[in-house]
Amino acid sequence: MSRDGTTVDTRPGLWLLVRTLRSYPRDATIAIAGALVWMGAVVALPYVTKTIIDQSIVGGRREVMAPLIALLIGIGFVQAVAMGVRRYFGFRLSYRAEADLRDRMFGHIQRLAFSFHDVTPTGQLMARSSSDLSQIRLILMMLPIVIANIAMFFTVIMVLILIDPVLGLVASLTAPALVLNANTLARRIIRLSFSVQQKLADLAEVVEESVAGIEIVKAYGQERREEQRLNEAALAIYEDTIQIARYRSRFAPLFELIPSFGTVAVLWVGGIRVIDGALSPGEFVAFTQYLAVLVLPLMITGWFFANLPRATASASRIERLLSTDPVIEDPPEPVPLPAGPGEIRFEGVRFSYPEGGPVLEGVDLLIPGGSAVALVGATGSGKTTIANLVPRFYDVDEGSVMLDGVDVRDLRLDDLRSEVAFVFQETFLFSSTIGENILVGDPEADDLRVRAAARLAQAHEFICSMPDGYDTVVGERGATLSGGQRQRIALARSVLRDPRILILDDATSSVDAVIESEIQEALRRVMAGRTTLIIAHRTSTLALADLVVFVEAGRIAGVGTHEELLSTVPRYGEVLAQDEDHATGGAP
Amino acid sequence: MRYMQHAGDYVVEDRRRLLTRAARLGRNLRFPAIGALAAAVVGTAARLAGPLTVRAGIDDGIAQGDKAMVTRAALVFIVLLLIQYVFVVISRYGIAWVGEQYLLKLRGIVFKHLIRSDTAFFSRSKSGVLVSRMTSDIESLQEFAGDGAVMALSNTLTVIGVAVAMVLVDVPMALATFAVVAVLIAVSVVFQRQAAKAYEQVRERIGRVLAGLQEGIAGVRVVQAFTQEQVQAASFGRVNEAHYRANMGAASAISWYFPTVGFLRVVALAAVLAIGGTRVMSGSLTFGTLVVFLLYLDWFFQPIVNLANVYNLLQAAIAALGKLFGLLDVEAEISERPGAYDLATPVTGAVTLEDVTFGYDDAVTVLHNVSLEIPPGQRLAVVGETGAGKSTIAKLVLRFYDPQQGVVAIDGADLRDLTIDSRTDAVALIPQDGFLFNGTLMDNLTYGAPEATVDDVWDVLRAMGIDQWIRGLPDGLDTEVRERGSRFSSGERQLIALGRAFLSDPAIIVLDEATSNLDPETEVEVEGALRVLLAGRTAVVIAHRLRSAERADRVIMIDDGRIIADGRHSELVETSPEYRRLVEVWERGIA
Repeated sequence: MSRDGTTVDTRPGLWLLVRTLRSYPRDATIAIAGALVWMGAVVALPYVTKTIIDQSIVGGRREVMAPLIALLIGIGFVQAVAMGVRRYFGFRLSYRAEADLRDRMFGHIQRLAFSFHDVTPTGQLMARSSSDLSQIRLILMMLPIVIANIAMFFTVIMVLILIDPVLGLVASLTAPALVLNANTLARRIIRLSFSVQQKLADLAEVVEESVAGIEIVKAYGQERREEQRLNEAALAIYEDTIQIARYRSRFAPLFELIPSFGTVAVLWVGGIRVIDGALSPGEFVAFTQYLAVLVLPLMITGWFFANLPRATASASRIERLLSTDPVIEDPPEPVPLPAGPGEIRFEGVRFSYPEGGPVLEGVDLLIPGGSAVALVGATGSGKTTIANLVPRFYDVDEGSVMLDGVDVRDLRLDDLRSEVAFVFQETFLFSSTIGENILVGDPEADDLRVRAAARLAQAHEFICSMPDGYDTVVGERGATLSGGQRQRIALARSVLRDPRILILDDATSSVDAVIESEIQEALRRVMAGRTTLIIAHRTSTLALADLVVFVEAGRIAGVGTHEELLSTVPRYGEVLAQDEDHATGGAP
Repeated sequence: MRYMQHAGDYVVEDRRRLLTRAARLGRNLRFPAIGALAAAVVGTAARLAGPLTVRAGIDDGIAQGDKAMVTRAALVFIVLLLIQYVFVVISRYGIAWVGEQYLLKLRGIVFKHLIRSDTAFFSRSKSGVLVSRMTSDIESLQEFAGDGAVMALSNTLTVIGVAVAMVLVDVPMALATFAVVAVLIAVSVVFQRQAAKAYEQVRERIGRVLAGLQEGIAGVRVVQAFTQEQVQAASFGRVNEAHYRANMGAASAISWYFPTVGFLRVVALAAVLAIGGTRVMSGSLTFGTLVVFLLYLDWFFQPIVNLANVYNLLQAAIAALGKLFGLLDVEAEISERPGAYDLATPVTGAVTLEDVTFGYDDAVTVLHNVSLEIPPGQRLAVVGETGAGKSTIAKLVLRFYDPQQGVVAIDGADLRDLTIDSRTDAVALIPQDGFLFNGTLMDNLTYGAPEATVDDVWDVLRAMGIDQWIRGLPDGLDTEVRERGSRFSSGERQLIALGRAFLSDPAIIVLDEATSNLDPETEVEVEGALRVLLAGRTAVVIAHRLRSAERADRVIMIDDGRIIADGRHSELVETSPEYRRLVEVWERGIA
């Protein structure tokens, strides 16, 4: 396990596996039953062969040949049907379990609070819901056949010993040798495959980086350096894969060789015992067949147990994710949100992020309904945090945040967030059409309202100039939009929600001045009749606000109009002056 | 259409040409390959000879009551097995070694070609497609090389060998077996087609599942802000369910095929027992021959099943090769011409555009007959609306593109006549986002000057006034830059990019100014560092802000691919109404 880089308690994972298996009792039962019937038929076949040889071919009873051959084919048929049942229901069980777990994980991830996502990389959650999940699927898929294989192993050994104790013991030595071989090979290869996956990812990163930074590579003429990095990454992969090849070439042929040595033993020991009359020719043939029958099942069993630790570790990680507390949830007895102007009140708010000291301390603040308020402060002052507390992206440690007189923690999240629209600094668009992206604000809105919202956000015009208008696909695989265009779509999305409170995390910081002036125009229209909170990263934004809240070191250091603050709070002037100085190009 | 050809466009389709090219690429590996093949033949022969010793043991030993003969047969068998093991190990390792060597070479060649392709090629091609050539396409070759090639070879040899051995041992039983195998092959072909289609669907749908996951996780904040959790979960549920159904499609194919194979095996066994058994009873066949046949029978079915599986790997590998050679066939337009020369040092940094006309494709002209002379040491700001062509001028100076008409020159030398090394030494680019590579800060700072020492770096940092900041980092110059520098603010990334440019000591700097504002303190630092960097160098600044224009020695305004104003900021405000309008918009932004 430590090879993965993480050590985990695997018991919760084992439990998850057991619980998952139990949730599909019908498929699990049918698959296991099919596997056991299949096993019975597989074990019966060499015995029928033996009977044909001893009774008919060597014994000379021609009349039993036909019925015995018919029996052989009949058992062959049963074996085939049972195998089909085992496979189909085994697949269904494992794919169903995988899909259901993935659905659950996705739903759960969607509910986990910002505080969780702040510290959890996307890649980690992706790994949980893809590679970790496939580990579980593989184990569930193999389970019925492994149960049958273990049963088969003991049955065959028993049959062999019953036929001839001496030869039976000798021949059954091949079984542990096969399992051991499979297990050794699988363990080594699994470890290396993991390492190869990692190195493939490293190589992909080199390629991605060179492609993304191609202008830098070219401008500095560093093609050779990139080539060298790539060759190093490729060589690292080569070293691992060639090691895998070394193991494979050494161990894989043994899967044939070990039963062949069993055949030698049968020929030698068995041959002498046939001469002595202790063994019949049919039994002799049955031995060779049983040896062949065991090879594949034993390989699979060895592989299964080599994979089990990894799968339980994966399951443990999934279990841990699923049992993570969403933290921010609907209250047990929600209070309905009364009608109101959108007044926000902070009372004695104290807040800190999970790792780190307090970000806000003793914050008291009243934002009257319908006002436009700019939050101003240096980076890290806590201005963004104040805004984040209103829609309850985080919960306060102490004190309370109230919307129109109700503590936000007493409201249903849906009620709260449908009245508080947040325009993030970085616009996220889903890979669907522009229209659908705006509809996120209110999925029930009709075309008319979507267009009206887009017009208000000054997005309608450029949307109409796109090839497919509102049906233009955007997002990762769609058309590329400029930062300003993306922001206006996000704005339209928030407008469509028609919230009491609009929060803008300096939505204009990533666009140039020309576009900014257009967006500000749009903002002015959108803000009318709502409480607006603007997290200001640039001075120009102040023009939109009728009230400024100056935040410094987690406290409210001043509230008033821009002019009032300039005259009463010296620090406000200083922080702005620094900014102003650059904005107007006043530096020498 | 000169710059329009991109990675998705060209794939080598012709199988024979493809395989010939693939073989030519691996010519240096032909002797090891032949050796591995020979070892595989010897190993298979030894394996097939094994059952013959069993026949000798039965017919000449057991049947005659000759225990010594049984022992002799067993010993010969053991020797054969050891020979088999040694040769199989050699052949398996040899084949894998050849495959991995081939891949190592291929990765190097493809990347070397890729990284030397035009900038135009990169901007036209989706970066995801280019990356997938180097990753998923080569990986599907790797899958084949790692396991598929060995499987294909050893199973083909086994099937042929067993077929020949069966005919040699007994024709009637062989014919009966072949009849069953004919059915098996037909069934396998049907299955292979069905499975290929099913897996294709599975692959496509797993792609959608992963994309859905990625989006759901990346957009989780927006989802929660708009309480779309249930909507998202429902739409992901549909994608997830479609993937499940695709999986079950593949499962159904597998669930009938393997049982059918199992049944056919029993039918063949029954046929051999019936035919062979009858002949043993009539005395026309020895019991040992029957036993040998039964042993061979077991070796006949599995290899055919394996080959059906390997076929898919082979198909994927050939398709990947087609795409890779397609990429290799795209030739770079911008390359060093024969007889290219170096700039005379020291480079003064005079930049000239002489009657330059340029378009990214022939249909749309971006720059019309632009002439411009930038004397050494001048700081030139290029302004204009988005799409006016200001960044195109920068790209021509960097020779990311060649003009259709006219000349771009440094110190009077046409860029097309210069060596690539000489040009890259003379011009440095500072892109909008700074762009950092994974590695340490030291690696990033010395990117354009690998020979620079730690002392050199500190000298530069001190000169730029950012040494204190770097010293304050936990690991100083050894601080790891991860995920393109996401741990640094955009201002800090710009500072590092400025340092990187300084260390490469170019005569000319092309600076694509960031559109977004920096926090005030960083802004001071960036300005300070920039002033130090630009002292004595020619600078082409693509400006988005008023103050950048004010600070420049000279401003040119581009509109619709033409220079419509040229002069100092203070002059242009007076003389150019277009420039004045732009300045007004900027001023409103500052408010």
